[in-house]
Amino acid sequence: MIIAILTDWFRRSNKSERLWLLAKIEFKLRYYENKLGLLWALIKPLMDIAIYYVAFQTIMKQNIPAFASYLFIGLIVWNFFLESTTGTVQILNTKKYLYEYSNMNKLEIYVSTLLSNSIGFFFNFLMFLLFYNLLEKNITYSTIHVLWIIPLFINLYILALAVSLILSNIYVIAKDITQVWQVFTSLLFFLSPILYKLEKFQESLPHFDYLNPIAGIIINARKVTMQGTHPDFKLFLFDFTYAIVLLMFGTFLLNKLGSKAAEKL
Amino acid sequence: MTKALAIQAKGISKTFHISEDSHNTVKHRLFNLFNPPRSKKVEAIKTMDFEIYKGECIGLLGRNGCGKSTLIRLLAGVYPCDTGSINIYGNTLLMNLGVGMSHQLTARENIYVSASVLGLKIKEIDNIFDQIVDFAELRDFVDTKIKYFSSGMVARLGFSIAVNAGADIMFLDEIFAVGDMRFQEKAIKVFESSWIEGKTVILVSHGMEVVKKYCNRTAFMKNGSLVYFGDTEKAIQMYVDDNH
Repeated sequence: MIIAILTDWFRRSNKSERLWLLAKIEFKLRYYENKLGLLWALIKPLMDIAIYYVAFQTIMKQNIPAFASYLFIGLIVWNFFLESTTGTVQILNTKKYLYEYSNMNKLEIYVSTLLSNSIGFFFNFLMFLLFYNLLEKNITYSTIHVLWIIPLFINLYILALAVSLILSNIYVIAKDITQVWQVFTSLLFFLSPILYKLEKFQESLPHFDYLNPIAGIIINARKVTMQGTHPDFKLFLFDFTYAIVLLMFGTFLLNKLGSKAAEKL
Repeated sequence: MTKALAIQAKGISKTFHISEDSHNTVKHRLFNLFNPPRSKKVEAIKTMDFEIYKGECIGLLGRNGCGKSTLIRLLAGVYPCDTGSINIYGNTLLMNLGVGMSHQLTARENIYVSASVLGLKIKEIDNIFDQIVDFAELRDFVDTKIKYFSSGMVARLGFSIAVNAGADIMFLDEIFAVGDMRFQEKAIKVFESSWIEGKTVILVSHGMEVVKKYCNRTAFMKNGSLVYFGDTEKAIQMYVDDNH
């Protein structure tokens, strides 16, 4: 079904134009309504980095080399996931005007919203690369392996899309999924190797780098940007499988529950 | 009239379950696992089959609450049906008071988004953009967010987008109730011009004149069932009899 939709998009060029148009407008609504504009996209992770740096490096003395960059890349991956899932739980409600007058495919609404988040992700990623390579001292500089971020990001995008589909469709029948998800994400945040030394994380929570679908993406993103090596392929394959399986479940829910959104919401 | 299919409906039906106490939170669902919500069944659409061909103008008559609006929402693909299947060939536009618009966006953005949803390419929208703005008489408010618009202005914009962008299959639900008298006259003029030519139109109206004038075939509905589908004159007669 997904392949059928994708080929349909490319065959009728209007759909790709529409996705980009919706993404641009979403992006504008998110950032250009504020005085600081796109800077907000950067300020948020920078503030987070400052807070966690003080807590985990200055106070708890974890001694992770280049800890600011270590946090930076972890947080932009995490924030993309968080914004794309928490921010879209009510998407079928807020974007109702798009589908209640036409037989537009609802999947397009998700894809375009996440596309708009992707713009923010790549902006931050660029800032990270500049920060890491120009300001950090005693490091291995980024190499051509940085390009591995593209397949890793595709993995992240599919995972976020899948979770977004699942949550927002459950929202149609159970409104308080919003609160449930808030608790769940803070749990997931602390069970991901964002703040801790990787060895310690793997030692204390064995197999969690495989069990947690976002952990592997963060580990691999650090490998390709900060260690200048290729990603851990076993981990990558694992995470990609997670994302695809969840996406299938998400599209199943979209067909089952999401199709009733116009009458239930 | 070509005999290419526009809409094919086989054995479709729709029942609404209106629950008396709403179990729409996780907590509610858990606590009432063995106490399912009492719900009232409303059979909005009883099983029916029919086919609509490309280029036809179909009238849809029936008294209030007989399921007309539900039927066109099913046909437009906005609601899923409970049984049977609907094949829709082309994109659809459901229009009652204009098209769907976001109040967070400006008139310009809404025009682009809505027209794009209706299947137009950006270049095509560029071409008809001025036409849409002028028809809606909103030249001075193009870059104003429509949340600051009056309801009449929003309705005019929606109507103008729908008229100028169009779609393969259009469902017009009482569209002549938009705007002030001057705008209504304009709307009727549009309808009388060649706007609907070559398009598939399903027209819901209580105005017998309009139905008689434009519809090739007309359906008459009563209490959720399709009583008659065919000759316009006969359908109108049945509708008039039903009202007495």
